[in-house]
Amino acid sequence: MKMRNILLVMTMVITTLLTGCAKKQDASERVLNIVSPAEIKGFDPIMADDLYSGREIGKIYEGLLAYHWLKVPYELVPNLAEAMPEVSKDGITYTFKLRKGVVFQDDAAFPNGKGREVEASDFVYSIKRLADSKSQANGWWILDGKLKGLNEWRDKNEKLPVTNYAEEVEGLRAVDKYTLEFKLAKPFPQFLYALAMGFTSVVSKEVVEKYGKEFINHPVGTGPYILPKFDQGKRITYTKNPTFREKFYPSDASPELKGLLGDAGKRLPLVDKIVVHVMVESQPAWLKFNKGELDYYSIPKDNFASAIKNNTLAPDLSAKGINLIIAPQLDLTYTGFNFDNKLFHNVKLRRAMALAFDEAKSNELFYNNTSFSAQGPVPPGIAGNIKDYKNPYKGPNLEAAKKMLAEAGYPDGKGLPEILYDIPDSTTSRQSGEFFQKQMEQIGIKIKISASPWPEFQAKLKKRGGQMFGLAWGADYPDAENFLQLFYGPNSSPGSNSTNYNNPEFNKQFEAAVMMQDSPARTAAYEKLNKFLAEEVVVIFNMHRQAYTLQQGWLKNYHNSDLSHDSYQYLDLDTAKKEEMLKKF
Amino acid sequence: MNLYSYILRRLLYVIPVLLGVCFLIFIIFNVVAPDPAYLLLGRHATIEQIATLHRELGIDRPFWEQYLAVVKTAFTFDFGYSWSSKQQIWEMIKAGAGPSLSITVPLFVITNTIAISIALLVSFYRGKFIDKAVLLISIAMMSISSLAYILFGQYFFAYKLGLFEISGYEPGFPHFIPYVILPIILYVAISWGPDTRFYRSVILDEVYQDYVRTARAKGVGELSIMFKHVLKNAMIPILTYVIIQIPFLILGLLLAEAFFSIPGLGGITIKAINTSDFPVIKAMTILSAVGFIIFGVITDVLYTVVDPRMRLK
Repeated sequence: MKMRNILLVMTMVITTLLTGCAKKQDASERVLNIVSPAEIKGFDPIMADDLYSGREIGKIYEGLLAYHWLKVPYELVPNLAEAMPEVSKDGITYTFKLRKGVVFQDDAAFPNGKGREVEASDFVYSIKRLADSKSQANGWWILDGKLKGLNEWRDKNEKLPVTNYAEEVEGLRAVDKYTLEFKLAKPFPQFLYALAMGFTSVVSKEVVEKYGKEFINHPVGTGPYILPKFDQGKRITYTKNPTFREKFYPSDASPELKGLLGDAGKRLPLVDKIVVHVMVESQPAWLKFNKGELDYYSIPKDNFASAIKNNTLAPDLSAKGINLIIAPQLDLTYTGFNFDNKLFHNVKLRRAMALAFDEAKSNELFYNNTSFSAQGPVPPGIAGNIKDYKNPYKGPNLEAAKKMLAEAGYPDGKGLPEILYDIPDSTTSRQSGEFFQKQMEQIGIKIKISASPWPEFQAKLKKRGGQMFGLAWGADYPDAENFLQLFYGPNSSPGSNSTNYNNPEFNKQFEAAVMMQDSPARTAAYEKLNKFLAEEVVVIFNMHRQAYTLQQGWLKNYHNSDLSHDSYQYLDLDTAKKEEMLKKF
Repeated sequence: MNLYSYILRRLLYVIPVLLGVCFLIFIIFNVVAPDPAYLLLGRHATIEQIATLHRELGIDRPFWEQYLAVVKTAFTFDFGYSWSSKQQIWEMIKAGAGPSLSITVPLFVITNTIAISIALLVSFYRGKFIDKAVLLISIAMMSISSLAYILFGQYFFAYKLGLFEISGYEPGFPHFIPYVILPIILYVAISWGPDTRFYRSVILDEVYQDYVRTARAKGVGELSIMFKHVLKNAMIPILTYVIIQIPFLILGLLLAEAFFSIPGLGGITIKAINTSDFPVIKAMTILSAVGFIIFGVITDVLYTVVDPRMRLK
């Protein structure tokens, strides 16, 4: 054979091999492909305190309550509870009736491997496990001090070598097989939100005991999907739970979500399989989405300019049938003062700094102009946010800032010591720290940046160290209390109040407001507190961020919902449309 | 010296080396690494919870006790459980070794074969156009960062041309093959340059030796000189260079695993560093050190095979 022929044959073989290397997508399969941009911690509900682990938990585990999939603002609905609870007049006792016939997923921990029925005692066990100090639960804070006798039970058992789960707790009782009673230490209407969080999902004692430490990798819940074993890999494949109870797609919706009622009344879950691709790097995930291998994806920062032009989707993406969904997030980014430092007791100094800060520029540089200006701590979409309210101390207003600084006793920054600004050690944080430094320089305030790895940064805040810091807070539940409590004195570090702001007047009003049931009076009280903090400039309020998510044209029923960790059961794929649309990819 | 007593003596060196490694990782963990409790317990952690976790992890014990625990681990290979994933570390290593090796072993074989072959070829044509061209291309390719290769490869070959999977991994043969071809090709492109330059310089050292001149004078053919004489005599540095790469194969490729979502040991190590997961960091460091020593001994023994003049002392 001549050399030319040999080369020709080799080229053909290599080409054939290479073209066989990329797998063809089977559009007829009802498989949802999604991304987790962070590693998953594991599948123990009491440990899932980050957004991404929480989303995985929600595919397997369920709690008493959940958020209605098609209602905005968020609305609680019964999940494993048969109905919303009966609440005593004094707001102390909550009685739940459980749904009958709900079973745990099959697992070797049960006799003959068949999951048994969920009972009220399982909830008692699950919540005690959350409280047990030996569990080291990340979610304990949600019930800390809330249920009668639970903290005492925790403290007592901490000293014992083995926790006594049989010991009764006054505030947590299985009245009968299907009746569960909670007694609160004091009225706390936000308690119901705790029961919609992953932390309070029901787990089975048999499974926890069988797998011990490795329970975190052996999820067995009552939810719509099963995962026989979690191997901490980069691909998590869930399949439909064959013993999942009869649950149906909602038939009512808020006006803005009425368009998602097409599957009303259908039995859940809708897709057969979910594949979660753990992809920490955004570039490959972005390419995968653009190739139609992922069903939705949040636009990465580096690809934003090419995907969004004038706040609308770029033509090449629209041509593929991709849709853009913009949704406000329930969060707040802020620059905090440490009130342990007497310097910051000077309200005029705080106001001067806030006035000097060019928030619009910061939005452009770090958020691609996608965020809302935060006027106070409570984000839009939650009762307590004041529509159209303008915080008088928002920058940039250098003239006013300089004047205010002089009134504070530091004309042109004279006499003011250099201020230490702590940030977590990341490129974006550093850039944003340097931006803040430059902004303050304009009025003569000297800022020194100190970057530390996230755990050290966190440790500094917990130990009340440092002077100023940059932080963000995402809602745990849709109630203004979750944001206002960031400034409540008794929550000072090591609690969630990293500013250590402790104003008796604010504390008193906050305590009164959080005891109130949801009502116009409570909303008015929240609004008053929101405005008070805004004008006190307890922190420099920066942004409420928005999520920019792209969705493939074949994905059905999707909308952005940060707090609904059980959303996947409602999603569906139009396989015929997918087959057709993939031709354009 | 008898081969077995040599091996035994060299293996006894493991003891001081491991003690040193234990000391180093212990110091690094206690001085530089951030407190894992803040990462493990999350944003609502209380001081009491942090103290309890310190107690449970044993990081509140006196330093000497903690150091002894590290030493015990190093000599028993009982690595225990990961602090963050709660998996048995041996199970994690077993699960991660396959994906890592499915890239690094073919990469190791292909890169070294290509690099040695090219080095022989260019040494044969030393100073000629092909030699200069290979040198120039290898330097040019070495100057590009590995991240650029990955980003370009994923965009052009996988996304634009659709020849490969963009990222992902399926365990088990042959399912993993479509996912590892692109990273292997890219890493061969990244590594062949420096390897070729090394092998070329080693071979050129031999090419100018007297015995080569003698062989030529005796009329031995050039191919025979290159393969039978030059390559054989260049084997000692080549063996050192090749064998010392082997213990690191299992550690995987950090960047490739992150960008191609391959669940290998590289990713596990990085995750452990990011979460201050000391038991995992400890296990990976100890295994690398032991692997390094064992393959060092293997290299020494192989010297005597390729060069009978060598003696073990």
